[in-house]
Amino acid sequence: MTQQAADVLVAHELRKTFKKVEAVRGISITVAPGERVGLLGPNGAGKTTTLLMLLGAILPDTGSVTIVGHRLPRHRSRAMESVGFAAGYLPLPDRLKVREALGVFAGWYGVRNEKQAVNEALERFEITQLADRLCNALSSGQRTLVGIVKATLHNPKLLVLDEPTASLDPDVALRVRTGLLQFCASTGAALLITSHDMREVEMLTERVIFLANGQVVANDTPAAIAATFGYDDLEGVFMQLADEARRA
Amino acid sequence: MSWHRIRVVMRRHAYVLWRAPHRWFDIGFWPLMDIILWGSLGTYVARNSTSATSSTPYLIAGIMMFHILFQSQIAVGTGFLEETWSRNLLNVLTTPVTEFEYLAGTAAFGLFKVLFALATLSITAFGFFRFELSSIGWSILPIALILTIVGWSAGIANIGIVLRFGQGAEILIWGSNFILMAFSGVFNPVDALPGALQPIARILPSTHAFNALRAVLDGKPLPGNEIALGVIGAFVMLLAGFSFTAWMLHVFRRRGFVTRFS
Repeated sequence: MTQQAADVLVAHELRKTFKKVEAVRGISITVAPGERVGLLGPNGAGKTTTLLMLLGAILPDTGSVTIVGHRLPRHRSRAMESVGFAAGYLPLPDRLKVREALGVFAGWYGVRNEKQAVNEALERFEITQLADRLCNALSSGQRTLVGIVKATLHNPKLLVLDEPTASLDPDVALRVRTGLLQFCASTGAALLITSHDMREVEMLTERVIFLANGQVVANDTPAAIAATFGYDDLEGVFMQLADEARRA
Repeated sequence: MSWHRIRVVMRRHAYVLWRAPHRWFDIGFWPLMDIILWGSLGTYVARNSTSATSSTPYLIAGIMMFHILFQSQIAVGTGFLEETWSRNLLNVLTTPVTEFEYLAGTAAFGLFKVLFALATLSITAFGFFRFELSSIGWSILPIALILTIVGWSAGIANIGIVLRFGQGAEILIWGSNFILMAFSGVFNPVDALPGALQPIARILPSTHAFNALRAVLDGKPLPGNEIALGVIGAFVMLLAGFSFTAWMLHVFRRRGFVTRFS
């Protein structure tokens, strides 16, 4: 068994150009089982495009994505059985109650006992009281929480979260981080997360991939990256890269 | 392909229908209005005509059968639009549901909407104009099959256009029904259309379905050649709709249009 086959995510040399603008320029990412990885970078660094290519929602011009041994786009459906995705900016289906929407997603993910999976996932993030609320009647923070619950329903091998705590109060955000750490520890799920909150990244991840101008500019532990750039923490690194990206 | 995921797609749309009163307009109110409009028109024309044949059954049967196409089309089209309206498309695209499963689920749920609309149409047509749908007999089945498949095909093709051109193109979900209504000879034989437009009408499978319907209403046997042409054409149209939308989905993924909907 090669290292590549063992990794839950292997993205090799991804490139994407939109109307002559090179958004992603040869990005390679691997995530090992159970590993927690942060994908960081200033606005326009190519994070969202990369993430959407990893999820099969955008096709790369060149390069390949393999999730749990399933190559995209041909085996997207099989690959997505092992992936949970949530984004802070994504709403949930209108006109469905939270329990119904989660049941639908559980069904799509192939969960056998939908009801039990929904109850367990709601309890994990302490939001059982939202179960009978309509999705479109939730606050943005509550919606984000339900989105994260949705992503964990089927005990995925890879959890992909895009700015998951951006709209949450600090206490709720902390609860989410704690819940995510517990989830990853108990299920062995790997985590790939983007965030603009450097403290969150330092708390949640073991390794950080910094992107700037569509390329990987650093790939190491948060402490090692901070030390390499001559800072005490990731905040300084982020500010420096954002400044350099603006000048480029 | 997973039957379970298809059933879940149907459940997802059943929830929406249950909680969206305006969706009941599609299968309850508009059919009622159509029967009143076309039934009244038929009654008026018959009253002022010297012909021994009343036009009322032709108009009512025409609009009833057109609703099969209409409901099938909007069930698929608005089923997909439901995901874009609630910006849920990226959530769906990142689940194991395949494009085929999603379309199959919306199309199958559309059959329920067709049945509900037909019930509304039948009851009101009988109540107001004493027209019985059963007068068409078993011939209704192959005619309905053609119209259902044409409706699905148009709905699927419309999804492709929305994927490619964005939500502004969703007007086609409704607009395409008017095009199909005008060119399919719903109420009149194709030769009543302007000459230049008749070739367009003749290549539509729905035109053959309505030709067959008029033959049955005339008291003739179900014309096998019209049904055969209609069925073959409908499946060709379905294949073309799938192919077109698969191509548009590829363009959608290649150009990163998903960000338009999220």
